[in-house]
Amino acid sequence: MKNYSILSCFLALSLSVFSAFAQLSVGVQGGYVKNYLNTSTGYLVSTQYAPATGFSIGIPIRYSVNKWLAFQVEPQLIQKNYRLNRTGSLDGLYQTTTNQYLQLPIMGHFSFGGARLKGFMNLGGYAGYWATSTNQGALFAFSPQLEDETDESDALPDYLLQKFNESYTFDGRKDRRLEIGLLAGTGIGYQAGRYNFFVEGRYYYALSDQQKNYMINQIPRYNQTYALQVGCLYQLTLR
Amino acid sequence: MKHLYALISLLFLILVTACRQEFPQINPPEKSVALTLTDEFDAFWTGMNNSYAFWDIDPTDWDAVYRTYRPLFAKLKSDDESSRKKGYTYYQEMTANLIDSHYTLYFKDPTLPAISPSNARILKRPSLHQPIPVAHYQKTIPANYLSAGAVTGVDTSKSSPGLLVAGKIKNTNILYFRFPQFALSDWYADPTSPAQAVVQYVFDELQNPDLDGIILDLRGNGGGNASDLDFLLGRLIDKSYVFGSLRAKAGMGRLDYLPWFDFTVHAVPGARPFTKPIVALVDMFSISMAEITPMAIKALPTGNGKLVGERTWGGTGPLTQENVRYNGGEFSTSVLARVYTSSLMFRYKDGKIYEGIGVPPDVEASYNGVALKTGKDTQLETAISQIR
Repeated sequence: MKNYSILSCFLALSLSVFSAFAQLSVGVQGGYVKNYLNTSTGYLVSTQYAPATGFSIGIPIRYSVNKWLAFQVEPQLIQKNYRLNRTGSLDGLYQTTTNQYLQLPIMGHFSFGGARLKGFMNLGGYAGYWATSTNQGALFAFSPQLEDETDESDALPDYLLQKFNESYTFDGRKDRRLEIGLLAGTGIGYQAGRYNFFVEGRYYYALSDQQKNYMINQIPRYNQTYALQVGCLYQLTLR
Repeated sequence: MKHLYALISLLFLILVTACRQEFPQINPPEKSVALTLTDEFDAFWTGMNNSYAFWDIDPTDWDAVYRTYRPLFAKLKSDDESSRKKGYTYYQEMTANLIDSHYTLYFKDPTLPAISPSNARILKRPSLHQPIPVAHYQKTIPANYLSAGAVTGVDTSKSSPGLLVAGKIKNTNILYFRFPQFALSDWYADPTSPAQAVVQYVFDELQNPDLDGIILDLRGNGGGNASDLDFLLGRLIDKSYVFGSLRAKAGMGRLDYLPWFDFTVHAVPGARPFTKPIVALVDMFSISMAEITPMAIKALPTGNGKLVGERTWGGTGPLTQENVRYNGGEFSTSVLARVYTSSLMFRYKDGKIYEGIGVPPDVEASYNGVALKTGKDTQLETAISQIR
């Protein structure tokens, strides 16, 4: 509930900022997201991070300055998921982390092309709040007697896998819940009357570590997110 | 406009490449090359930084240890004997407050004794006493407390032979079983072991429907194989049950953990539930499996388990033989033969973690050395009174 309140505040703030201007468009967008956790497993063996997919939904609000330049904010909910895999003899053990961020991208929107069909490029930055996190996966059950019967060359049998699916409780000592970063996107849009339909590929590049600086020799963890999204904008006022 | 796009793109690229932190180069402690005492410190500190399972709850500020002791090690000379001795005292100081009560530093240099923070901690307990001598179990208990027919056996597989004693408490149908460590499944599987007959006697008695209760005397028991949890308690239940949870490291970060997962006692197929009282008799020298097992007894779904005696040692985190599976635990360096430490954190079903604290008994029965010398075991008598 708290998360939805924050999203509403984002939206209200964005609208109030732009209400003074005339050429304003508001819409919806959503899409498919693939996130990479840019980090290192150090000297751990049989351990590797893999990207995971998710989704994003948002409310783009665009103020057009002229034919080729506009500014856009886009309060959104975006998932930045990843997966921790164990490999080799521990193949079958994994943890998929599903992270939901409330995010506010702010960008310059640069258009080029014809009157109806236009290409565009977005460049800007964003601030996000790490709202929720859940972990789902399978880990090695502590059952030494059963373990003795396991042949290391085989895949782990089900009885040695303990499955889990639970919410993550944020740790104030470690977790940095505010994320800032850069974004870049490119796509095409089609203008049909007051409606603008668009498809965009976007890249989010976190500049802030998911962790606070809580230990010496800390290995940073940065999100790197690719999104493929579609959306529609409605022009509130005609030029 | 092209210039503007190019400028914006360039700025973007500069930001992208300039704002992130570098990944540190961290070498595994086992493969560290130690030319100086500072190198030795670095390898040890790094291993602890990444592999120690208790950073979530440990009071030691490991960063402060780095900032304080690294400069001190830098002043020491590796070829100087007094420097080496000084370095040894630094290791003692650095590890003094670590709560892992399995934690022991074993040096490759045989002249340097092992460092055990929990050993030093136990010496400060107000109720500190000597461990009960083996002769008490070997002679006094059979003579004063057990009926005729009690069996004893000595495990000779270890460097310090351990004594097993089993029998019925006099004038009762209460089974008494004392064993020095958890190697029950190993002894049972070895027909040549003198201990095998004692374990067989106990398992036979567990089938006796007239049994009125069980006393597991785990005083002075140093722990051992976790597989004995199922091997012993699994015979007293017909359904597996959870008595706590465990947590492993997920990554290199001190606070990188996987979720808590169940610590389960698995029923041995065909076992019948034992519903009469079961008492685990413990003292401050009951360590590891000799603490975990009583906690599992106390959590029996049938509600017939109880702890009697003293607060235990406080080493409840299980260990595994290798640290790959749980991404934490034991490691070594070029000078440390073994940094012996738990692989997992254990949280009891009451939500508490007893690591470094010890498990309190349900019924307090203090050590009475004076009575013990006269052949009177007041702790055992308290245990018997809980069943009678």
